[in-house]
Amino acid sequence: MSAVLSARGLTKRYGKQVAVDGIDFEIPAGRIVGLIGPNGSGKTTTLKAALGLIPFEGELSVLGFDPRTQRDELMQDVCFIADVAILPRWLRVRDAIDFVAGVHPRFDRSKAERYIANTKLTPTMKVKQMSKGMIVQLHLALVMAIDARLLVLDEPTLGLDIIYRKSFYQNLLEDYFDEDKTIVITTHQVEEVEHILTDLLFIRDGKIALSATMEEIGERYVEVMVSADKVAAASALQPIDQRTVFGKSVMLFDARRAGGLSREQLTALGEVRNPSVADLFVATMKGTYA
Amino acid sequence: MNTNMTASLPSNAPTGTGSRANSLASTGMTNLKWLIRRELWEHKGAFFWAPLAVSVALVLVLGGGFLYGIMHAGSFHFQMGEHQVAVHGVPHAMRARLASVVASSYLAVAAPLFLVLPVVVFFYCLAALYDDRRDRSILFWKSLPLSDRDIVLSKVIVALLVAPLVVIGTGVATSLVLLALGLVAAALNDINLIVPVLSDMRLYLSPLYLLSFLPLYIIWALPTVGWLLLVSSWAKSKVFLWAVGMPVVILAILSWFDFLMSRFSGVSLGAKWLGNEVVARMLGGLFPGIWFGEVDKSALVQMQNGLDAGLLLNISYSTLASPAVWIAAAAGCAMIAGAVRLRRWRDEG
Repeated sequence: MSAVLSARGLTKRYGKQVAVDGIDFEIPAGRIVGLIGPNGSGKTTTLKAALGLIPFEGELSVLGFDPRTQRDELMQDVCFIADVAILPRWLRVRDAIDFVAGVHPRFDRSKAERYIANTKLTPTMKVKQMSKGMIVQLHLALVMAIDARLLVLDEPTLGLDIIYRKSFYQNLLEDYFDEDKTIVITTHQVEEVEHILTDLLFIRDGKIALSATMEEIGERYVEVMVSADKVAAASALQPIDQRTVFGKSVMLFDARRAGGLSREQLTALGEVRNPSVADLFVATMKGTYA
Repeated sequence: MNTNMTASLPSNAPTGTGSRANSLASTGMTNLKWLIRRELWEHKGAFFWAPLAVSVALVLVLGGGFLYGIMHAGSFHFQMGEHQVAVHGVPHAMRARLASVVASSYLAVAAPLFLVLPVVVFFYCLAALYDDRRDRSILFWKSLPLSDRDIVLSKVIVALLVAPLVVIGTGVATSLVLLALGLVAAALNDINLIVPVLSDMRLYLSPLYLLSFLPLYIIWALPTVGWLLLVSSWAKSKVFLWAVGMPVVILAILSWFDFLMSRFSGVSLGAKWLGNEVVARMLGGLFPGIWFGEVDKSALVQMQNGLDAGLLLNISYSTLASPAVWIAAAAGCAMIAGAVRLRRWRDEG
């Protein structure tokens, strides 16, 4: 099976509002995909559809299952963290491990215990006694010990401080990810995930605005610090975004725009570098809130 | 290696599918076991501490009363029917009758526990499929390979089986402690009932009689549990208002209509029928003994020598002859199925 997740004409309406508007995409195995978009763009709706949490129109296949009708089978191989701090308040660390070990055939108990041993969590602690960061540590310990083929993380670090956020992604990469697994992440904090992503999926107003691997992005988008005397020439090449840093113009070019642009052309304009995903995101989403 | 595999494949294939079906069935059972355990973790207070507290209170108050009786009274006061009986060294016949009442009815002392049960289970069912949507923890449960059917089923089992069994167990234990205290207190007051009570078979059979009410209780409680779980699964907020307010308001409107119309014509919307047959079953089914509303009470009045458990059981189970009970229970099951279906597409909020 090539695609872990494939959507064709995926559509979700809430009343008259179209949250996801007939999107197509494919996510192959062994990728870490960032599903990135502004608030209300349809990211969470897309993920909820893929996890069989909401009904939808169109075709969607997750690990070969239809999430609408085969959710019970699907959940054997999929895990997700929908949001931080959703563990029930009365749950104890010990009971949480026992429970997941009891119901999940792919749960590796020793792995979860090893992970928890590195935190301040104690077996008798209840979720309501934990800080937000500790709740995430527990949730992560549970989820990372599950050998799922697809892991979906929807804003996994929302509301966490920087130390927890850093270690969250580090653990994800070091202890969890391998070539058989696929991870889909949505987040607002693009700059924190860009170094771990292999693929980008920008979503805007319920449509895919950009779908590319990170290598493609690197080849295609180029940021140029244009020297003052070449601004006019640079503008003629139709940058997709332009801003000013310390009096210097920074322009973003799509090398694959109509007509095409070569690196040489751009190098001639000034210092060339790869844009950050955040800058690319802002450029792509220009006018979203206008 | 290669030949080995090809050789073993065909013979393995049928057993493979068989064991897969088996393992699916057994995961269903283990999942249920864990889900029930989960319910008890969450509701330890309601299902264990509340009955235990009532039981301790009963022992303290009633047991304390017995002790007080030993210390302060030379006589033993006893309410029997309408007669207040003060007993000092009682005649033999009287003693035998007293022993008979005690041995057959001692479980009645735990009655308050059986009033706690419906309250606890009522609110448990109401919150069962709603609270985890409100605090969004439903998303955690939905991230695990658990079917909606198993989740709802675990709650039904807890409401209809686990909670009553806990209360029955606590009730029997409490009654036995109080019986022991009472017997000792009475003995110290020269009314020694220990031997006649201990040699009465009904002393030992009473817990079994109590237990044999459980299937009947489940049948009567099904419509209420079904209704509450359905509302709990469906409502976006204010579950209590929907579950209790809606039927009561509908009933009130129909009753008002019937009341007004009865003045002018024989037209009726059947408010009385709706109240007795639908609303009462929907909301009151958790009360142990609700079925006595449908039996001929004259049979009950005649029990002079304590509770006749056999007769009581007989009368109670005779209510199953009425098709309405079965229709209501079937409706309860249908509502539980409805709760499962609604749960399928419910997430937070």
